[in-house]
Amino acid sequence: MAAKISNGRNHIAATNSSSMFIRIRLGNISDVPHIHKLIYQMAVFERFPHLFEATEESLAATLFNSPPFQSVTCFMLEVSQHPFPQDKHSLNPNYKPTTKTLDLEEPINDPDSIVFKTVGSNSDFDGHDIVVAGWVIFFPNYPTFLAKQGFYVEDLFVREFYRGKGFGKMLLSAVATQAVKMGFCRVDWICLKWNQKAIKFYEDVIGAEVMKEWGVCRLAGKALEAYGEK
Amino acid sequence: MAAAAAGPPPPTPTPIPSMTLPENPAANSIFVRIRLAVPTDVPHIHKLIHQMAVFERLTHLFEATQENLTTTLFNSPPFKSFTVFILEVSRLPFPNDQHSVNPNYPSVTQMVNLDTNIEDPEAHNFQVDSDVVVAGFTLFFPNYSTFLAKPGFYIEDIFVRECYRRKGLGKMLLSAVAAQAVKMGYGRVEWCVLDWNISAIKFYEEMGAQVFQEWRICRLTGDALNGYGGGN
Repeated sequence: MAAKISNGRNHIAATNSSSMFIRIRLGNISDVPHIHKLIYQMAVFERFPHLFEATEESLAATLFNSPPFQSVTCFMLEVSQHPFPQDKHSLNPNYKPTTKTLDLEEPINDPDSIVFKTVGSNSDFDGHDIVVAGWVIFFPNYPTFLAKQGFYVEDLFVREFYRGKGFGKMLLSAVATQAVKMGFCRVDWICLKWNQKAIKFYEDVIGAEVMKEWGVCRLAGKALEAYGEK
Repeated sequence: MAAAAAGPPPPTPTPIPSMTLPENPAANSIFVRIRLAVPTDVPHIHKLIHQMAVFERLTHLFEATQENLTTTLFNSPPFKSFTVFILEVSRLPFPNDQHSVNPNYPSVTQMVNLDTNIEDPEAHNFQVDSDVVVAGFTLFFPNYSTFLAKPGFYIEDIFVRECYRRKGLGKMLLSAVAAQAVKMGYGRVEWCVLDWNISAIKFYEEMGAQVFQEWRICRLTGDALNGYGGGN
């Protein structure tokens, strides 16, 4: 569903200060189990778990079928207590990962870190615990008035324990930066009207225009299938 | 910009008393065809987009050129990326041609009975050949529902030229996209509508669409977007 950046409460264990290393990289097929869990967490957050139908199999079959940025594309947000090693992601010719270091007053206690550990991260470098903290999925759109491409952000999600630290902004900025790099003219997404906090964030922090007069229409399910019967 | 409604048909066709009879009885029917656009349609597509900008009172945002359209459309196989359907009308049945046998999308034709003749003052600007005129278009591209883990289609524009409105042609275009989505096993077709356009909303709901009033579109463009170009 729609992009969101939520400033939920953080579960922080009170100990000494620490640094956190953050990386944004292209998603790939081995991220599917994590992507599946992230989508489910978002469905729960949006109170739409009854609409959640994705399976790991259906995601694997429909994502990553095109070169990055030509079709549906995702960025994974990873965190680690250690600097990120040189690995296959840092050498990806399609997208050089963005890294950043964040000084935290207190380390983040992530009870789901085992579940969201990046697959194979241990084999990259001994002692590395790389954990997926969020993601963004987007695809090209086409504003005809400009006859140029843009990106539409379908989902942006940061796991509960990592919110309120600017990670959502990092993910949205990564998409915007890529759009500019490719000469694209626009980045669009939708957000819930009642989410004034998010709207204010998009307007004030991100610099987005929030269009007041457009509604979203959708043809799906049986109503859609009826159009195939002709 | 978002899909411009072609406008809903009137609830019941009102017979308009005509002082002049049609030249011949067959003139009250037109043949309508929906086909995949080809690069030679670009001049017509460009004019249609401009007319849509005028209709939406957004001409100050109109920057498309024929060159831009040519370089950004038709770069991928149909339906994989930005795709355009052209709506054509003719007084004569459409012949079998390259469009009717297009392996990606055999054109769809229909005959429409009219109460009165259509006067098209701009026919010369939209002529494909001596009998065929472009009456509208739709531009759409794949989107992706993460909840369904399935692609869908997003309709960026639907536009029918003024003199061809209220004859069900907009519905034909929307139905053609929906039928293609079903054929490809896609989960959804989505588009946007101006929230003051009550008649369009009613029309879409009658077509079976859900209209979500609780969502807002957010957009990053121009200087605000370019500000992200220098990295973080």
